[in-house]
Amino acid sequence: MKMKRNLVWLLLIGTALSFTNCKDSGDAVEPDDENELITSVTLKFTEQGTSTTTSFSYKDADGDGGNAATQFDTIALKPNKTYTMTVELLDESKTPTDDITKEIKEKADEHLFIFTPSPATLLTYTYGDKDKNNYPIGLTGKAVTGATGIGKLTVQLRHQPGAKNGTPEPGSDDVNLNFNLKVQ
Amino acid sequence: MNRVFLSLLLVLIINKSFAQKTECGCFVKGLVKDTHTGQPVVGATVLILGQNTGVFTDPNGRYELRNLCPGSYTLECRIVGYQPYRQKIDLTAGHEENFNLEEQEVHLKDVEITAHRSEAPSSQPLTTLSGNDLEQTRGQNLGESLKGLTGVTTLQTGSSISKPVIHGLHSNRILIMNNGVRQEGQQWGSEHAPEIDPFIATRLSVVKGAAGVRYGSDAIGGVILVEPEELPFNKGISGEANAVGFSNGRQGVLSGTVQGGITGFKGFGWRAQGTIKRGGNIRTPNYFLDNTGISEKNFSLAAGYRRGGLGIDLFYSRFDTKIGIFSGSHIGSVTDLLNVIKNGEPFVKSGFSYNIGRPNQNVTHDLFKAETHYHFQNGNRFQWTIARQINDRNEFDLHRPRNDSLAALNHPELTFKLTTLTNDVVWDHKPIAGKIAGQLGVSTLYQYNLMSGRPLIPNFNQFNIGLFWIERYVKNGWELEAGIRYDYRTLKTYRIVSRQKVANTFQFANFSGTVGATRNFSDHFSVRLNAGTAWRAPNVSELFSDGVHHGAAAYEKGDASLKSEKAINTIGSIKYADARWSVELGGYYNYISDFIYLKPQPEPILTVRGAFPYFKYTQTDASFKGIDLSGSWEFVKNITATSKLSYLRVYDQRNDAYLVMIPPNRLDNQLKYALSDRGKLHDTFLSIGNLYVAQQKRVPPNSDFLAPPKAYSLWNIQAGTSLKVSEKQQLEIGISVQNLFNTVYRDYLNRFRYYADDMGRNASLRLKWKFGA
Repeated sequence: MKMKRNLVWLLLIGTALSFTNCKDSGDAVEPDDENELITSVTLKFTEQGTSTTTSFSYKDADGDGGNAATQFDTIALKPNKTYTMTVELLDESKTPTDDITKEIKEKADEHLFIFTPSPATLLTYTYGDKDKNNYPIGLTGKAVTGATGIGKLTVQLRHQPGAKNGTPEPGSDDVNLNFNLKVQ
Repeated sequence: MNRVFLSLLLVLIINKSFAQKTECGCFVKGLVKDTHTGQPVVGATVLILGQNTGVFTDPNGRYELRNLCPGSYTLECRIVGYQPYRQKIDLTAGHEENFNLEEQEVHLKDVEITAHRSEAPSSQPLTTLSGNDLEQTRGQNLGESLKGLTGVTTLQTGSSISKPVIHGLHSNRILIMNNGVRQEGQQWGSEHAPEIDPFIATRLSVVKGAAGVRYGSDAIGGVILVEPEELPFNKGISGEANAVGFSNGRQGVLSGTVQGGITGFKGFGWRAQGTIKRGGNIRTPNYFLDNTGISEKNFSLAAGYRRGGLGIDLFYSRFDTKIGIFSGSHIGSVTDLLNVIKNGEPFVKSGFSYNIGRPNQNVTHDLFKAETHYHFQNGNRFQWTIARQINDRNEFDLHRPRNDSLAALNHPELTFKLTTLTNDVVWDHKPIAGKIAGQLGVSTLYQYNLMSGRPLIPNFNQFNIGLFWIERYVKNGWELEAGIRYDYRTLKTYRIVSRQKVANTFQFANFSGTVGATRNFSDHFSVRLNAGTAWRAPNVSELFSDGVHHGAAAYEKGDASLKSEKAINTIGSIKYADARWSVELGGYYNYISDFIYLKPQPEPILTVRGAFPYFKYTQTDASFKGIDLSGSWEFVKNITATSKLSYLRVYDQRNDAYLVMIPPNRLDNQLKYALSDRGKLHDTFLSIGNLYVAQQKRVPPNSDFLAPPKAYSLWNIQAGTSLKVSEKQQLEIGISVQNLFNTVYRDYLNRFRYYADDMGRNASLRLKWKFGA
């Protein structure tokens, strides 16, 4: 009988011990903080000789998943015109909004934009900026439209830390968007 | 979890009869009993190695081997679930003067054998890696070490991260018992390898099939038991030092163990063990893989005390690893993945380097365990184990934050800290009528997870209680077993949704059961059959995943309404073994209802990095059926051929389809030449082997970016010997070459098969120095 009582005590102590370290993980939940998030990509076209700027955006305010993208514009341009094209990237999930364009400028030697129209005759792109190693960046450049037509414009931001050589191959995509393109 | 040390007391009694000259009249007889309970061990096989002589212990635990000729023999005592025990006996030396016609009992010695009794149902196949077979795997990680067993494969992320797969199931569907404690890391992740140093163990065992009753949730595919030797109570100082070098990755591993008792402190034993591992970039046949180095530092300390029926054991281990992840496997979008597949080899080129840069994972796992048991005089036994584990996992992405001040901090992008407390109380009741033995137990688990960085899984608190009862009936070569268990689990998760804290509560409750029978027809031939169930609650990643899995270029979404998975597993095996032949044939049918898997959705998900294929965690009913066949045949003296076949078919019964990521069938053949002992050299062997892995053709159509890789065939050679330097010192040497012909191949269960070839030729040299008692 005595042994049984001892056992009961042991069990109680054991159970007690297993809870002394209990901690509520709910107290420690911190808001998420994704380093490389980009929630909005905007292409700004300014027709040469004018000051009218038209903007076309992709916006997904809460990043991947959650709610779907709220905006994905069709790029509409006039045929046979020359445009100055700039790119603006934002992380709007942060308060205040994080200006990714600025961060890319600072790390220009790790980033490269690639603009690929399809069909290729729709648009011709020429880089208008260079990093310290004399490789293009693509935050600003010149876009010359061809004849009327519809197609796609793929916008890629290649992240190429330590490997940038002016070609698209190294690194991986930070942005890869297929905008609809309408030249009319 | 708990581990029971049972001891066999084997008393050898020798008698020599001088009367008959023509027929030898020596015999060995004795008793096999459990030292702690004092209960005779019934149905144990006692045999003389190298001879076709063997008997079972009778209902009183007695055995007798008659008509032996004078000479030296090795006596082996075996019973399912115990470590085989061997004892050299000499029936010639020094006893001639005792020859007389009368039977005279001479106690050779009282040998106390401490054997780990596996708690898995004895009717389930238990495959063990120990002794020389284990030595040959030294230096490899746990998953790789187990790969040679039939029915066991690995799920890999490159060459340095491998997870064991049993009968096609892995991660949360198998359970690892590390020194009697259920290993709790972040097992759900396919790139999260078990945080265990195999040098801790002198025995690695795999229980195949559902073993939910004894082990609780997650034991759906099987259980891996990582077991150290029992502490050397009251013995002198002994130990071993291991050095292993691998040519591929230029990897070096050093490991040492020192152990002993303490003079003047009776009943005490201790052990200290440590391992250091360092390796650099792995080379495939044609190129190096950038950033695939590894650095590991592990140690463990153990101490124990025995007095009468009382035993106390304390154990602490720390596992600390830093593993580089192949940088060419980082992709941003599906286009990136398709480009690297099209290229056929990685874009990132590299030479050899020991440097481990980003991406990498840095994991530490601390385990503290205290166990106490008491054997009552009447045969009852009580055991109580408490353990605390802290798993700290830090994952660093390829890219640092763009913001310089954040980047300078070099914080991991993902941190998981999982703390687990387990508490197990087991009562082994005294045998009823000397035939029925059993145990009752209660297990609790409490754990909490703290997460920071990129949102991936929520924080959670989890509590589990399980009650089980198993009874075993042993008589005349029959062993019948039945058990039942009830588990209850609550899970509370905390997440941030739109900057608000959201809490969810889940409850899961399940019954598990097992029935099994083993029939030992003779010491050569046995048949076993087991039907068991196991369950698993959906894990937090299956409930709450929501994002792009960059390794798989897939958008994965969880489902908070998932139910528990339940498995019913039937497994049968036939085993025949004699001096020259051994065959083991096992078949299994594992039906898993509400099997959780990633189901492809028709519409892709659009992200800023483009559209990703969309997968949702969904439940179905899956069947896993397969055959494990192993056989060996010594067809010429000293030359043995061994073959192992693992065959598996998996089917999604609800949707009439195949499932993805199922290991292909494989055939492993080996030819071994054992040289006879020469001078101080013993256990010398040469062997050549071939592993053939078929192509997995049973996959759902269009389910993958790349079809499963083609079949491959790899050759390997091994050689080894042991040198007895002195009475108390021994040196063991082993060499091996894996992938002898530097074959280019990719494995279906290697997650890097999209990016790069598998490891090329790898030569290794192993040295082991054993000293002391």
